Amino acid sequence: MSTMNLIRLELKKIKRTGFLPAFLGGGILAAAVPAVNTAFRPELFAGLSAPPVSILLGANWQMMSMLNVLLIVAGACVLYHIEYADNAMRKMSTLPVRESSLFFGKAAVLILAGVLLLAIEAVSVFGCSIYWFSRAAAPSAGILKSFGFFLLMLIPAALLSLALASACRNLWTSLGIGVVCVFAATMIPAQRFALTLFPFAMPFQMPVNHTGDVIRNYAIAAAAETIVISLSEVIILKVRRIFA
Amino acid sequence: MSFLSLVKVEHQKVRRSKIFLILILAAVILWIPSVLNADLNFGMQAVGISPENSFFIQGFMAMAWFLFPAAMVVITVLQTQTERNDHGILKMLSLPVGTAKLCMAKFAVLVSFSAVQVLMSVGMYYISAAAASHTQGYAFCLPPLFVFKEACMMWASAIPMLAFFWLLAVCIRTPVFSIGIGLASIVPSVLMINTKVWFAYPMAYPFFVTASEYGKLAANLETAPVRLIPWLPAAALITAVCLIISCLCFGQAERR
Amino acid sequence: MNIIETQGLTKSYGGFTAVSGINLHIPQGSVYGFLGPNGAGKSTTMKMFLGLTKPTGGSFVIDGMRFPDSRVQILKEIGSLIEAPSFYGNLTGEENLDIIRRILGLPRSSVSEALETVGLTPHRKQLAKKYSLGMKQRLGLAGALIGRPPILILDEPTNGLDPVGIHEIRTLIRSLPQRFACTVLVSSHLLSEIELMADHIGILNHGRLLFEGTPDALKRDATFQGYPTDNLEDTFLALIDADNRQRGGAR
Repeated sequence: MSTMNLIRLELKKIKRTGFLPAFLGGGILAAAVPAVNTAFRPELFAGLSAPPVSILLGANWQMMSMLNVLLIVAGACVLYHIEYADNAMRKMSTLPVRESSLFFGKAAVLILAGVLLLAIEAVSVFGCSIYWFSRAAAPSAGILKSFGFFLLMLIPAALLSLALASACRNLWTSLGIGVVCVFAATMIPAQRFALTLFPFAMPFQMPVNHTGDVIRNYAIAAAAETIVISLSEVIILKVRRIFA
Repeated sequence: MSFLSLVKVEHQKVRRSKIFLILILAAVILWIPSVLNADLNFGMQAVGISPENSFFIQGFMAMAWFLFPAAMVVITVLQTQTERNDHGILKMLSLPVGTAKLCMAKFAVLVSFSAVQVLMSVGMYYISAAAASHTQGYAFCLPPLFVFKEACMMWASAIPMLAFFWLLAVCIRTPVFSIGIGLASIVPSVLMINTKVWFAYPMAYPFFVTASEYGKLAANLETAPVRLIPWLPAAALITAVCLIISCLCFGQAERR
Repeated sequence: MNIIETQGLTKSYGGFTAVSGINLHIPQGSVYGFLGPNGAGKSTTMKMFLGLTKPTGGSFVIDGMRFPDSRVQILKEIGSLIEAPSFYGNLTGEENLDIIRRILGLPRSSVSEALETVGLTPHRKQLAKKYSLGMKQRLGLAGALIGRPPILILDEPTNGLDPVGIHEIRTLIRSLPQRFACTVLVSSHLLSEIELMADHIGILNHGRLLFEGTPDALKRDATFQGYPTDNLEDTFLALIDADNRQRGGAR
């Protein structure tokens, strides 16, 4: 089955699960964070000398990324919950489709949902910087770069939460583990670079806080984690099939 | 049938759910960073808090702000999914027990699980405080009476939040919405505790109460004190409204 | 005396009428067979008797009581098995029954008694989610029989059972009025099955009651209307077919 078909199939499966509205709503909520925060105390931010995008992200990205990661975890749980809830998984495993393709189809959907989230947030940050920091030229390049980085950082977290969800039959187990992982990520001190490479901690990273070298290292780490998690999931699914 | 035996029945239903493992995992993850970074507690002179108090309250604040509320959302998921997986709820609704009573028994189970989570965290606190005392050569353990008082305050202040989560679980049947709204509602509590209307936001209660205790323990730190008025009336009102609506909604979807 | 009576009982979902103004009379101490093809409205009617769905028209009385005023009182008298069996998959068969037992306030012995009655005793320690379809059905039946309620509502209780199991459960249901002094309302889409169990039959098609009475009365009726009567299954099919044709070929 072609990749496009696989994604189309997964998109069909999430009909009436509230998946897309949830991401839309979540995106709007996260996008509201910088707007509301700046609207309440514009004088505090407008007086700063840093580029507007850095100011806005510095003040709000912690909360926005927290919302993003939580939504990604919840979304991953629901993507597999629809397979397990009424035994659709059993049917799927008797059809001529690899379980790993199922995983990658879902991964594509989850990452697309992540793109949706980040796009809404990017528009909001763009709007805020135009509205409150009109002195600067339209900072579209900076925003694009930042949100491209955020997307890259979100992919390992999305894949890992999907892998967790595929391993747990029960919705609450995968959600519980995911939530604990997100919490653990928030407890990681920013100065310990190795620890911040934990997939759930990466989405909290901001390019404005780092030099070009560190940003490049994060990008390499994200790519490496994406490959490692994907390969591990393929192996785990194969092993599980053997012992089923 | 008495309410208490109904609560017992509800506890019986979540057997083999592995929920205790998740709660233990949460308690362990909560304290590991505290043990690893125990030395940081000696550099808190600026805030004016003793190392042992700092060790304790930092852990509890981390729990109150996110881990504890999030674990409670997970428990509501456990409770609703247990009923829905094999239509157990249909059998329950065809048995002679009031639906409101059933709903309240489930809420009581949620409250009792929250107590278990808090107790586990207290237990883990003592284990990790002992470990930190060993590694740092400094006595980190605080008297149990004080620790239990703080734990009880956090737990009791969480009840309105639990009522809100329960309302979400009962009234919003689409899992991604009830989970998403529940988790998303936790995040703004960091902002809410710094506003004047924190008492209108139940998800912020445990964090506010614990943060306020932090202020009491730290000589040079000013945190907003807990003022019972208008907090208590607001909390009581929010709890009552959430529980009444959940009782009215409970089982409605299955009885269409 | 009728233990359950309905007057013009109706249930519509939007534009679709699942049950259309039926008048049932279920005599106390009888086995009442509720017959009809899939989607005729049998389950909906039974769900209304259990308060699991609200009628949109008409009314019914169970042992002199009505919903929703006497909901708990009515449910105390009814043991039920509705549609796909409802249970908790993470619990064993025994634990599932124990939950029902506690809610009904029955003695501990009632669990083993119910397990014995449906033949699940050897599997009582197994998780319900690991049960076969037939075992799940038996568990559902045990959950209905536990505590010997005066009224039993069983929706297609032989679903998923093997021929030996079907025979066993049929014999059990047949014997219930004598053994436990109860009334049984049992549904099926097979007349041959109902014929072997029931003293009274109600035939439902597209939500309308086509016939109510004893099997003998059904035969007499059918002869009178010129339907085949050598085999009651043919009679049933002819009755349904005639009704469908009258409704304009709708099946």
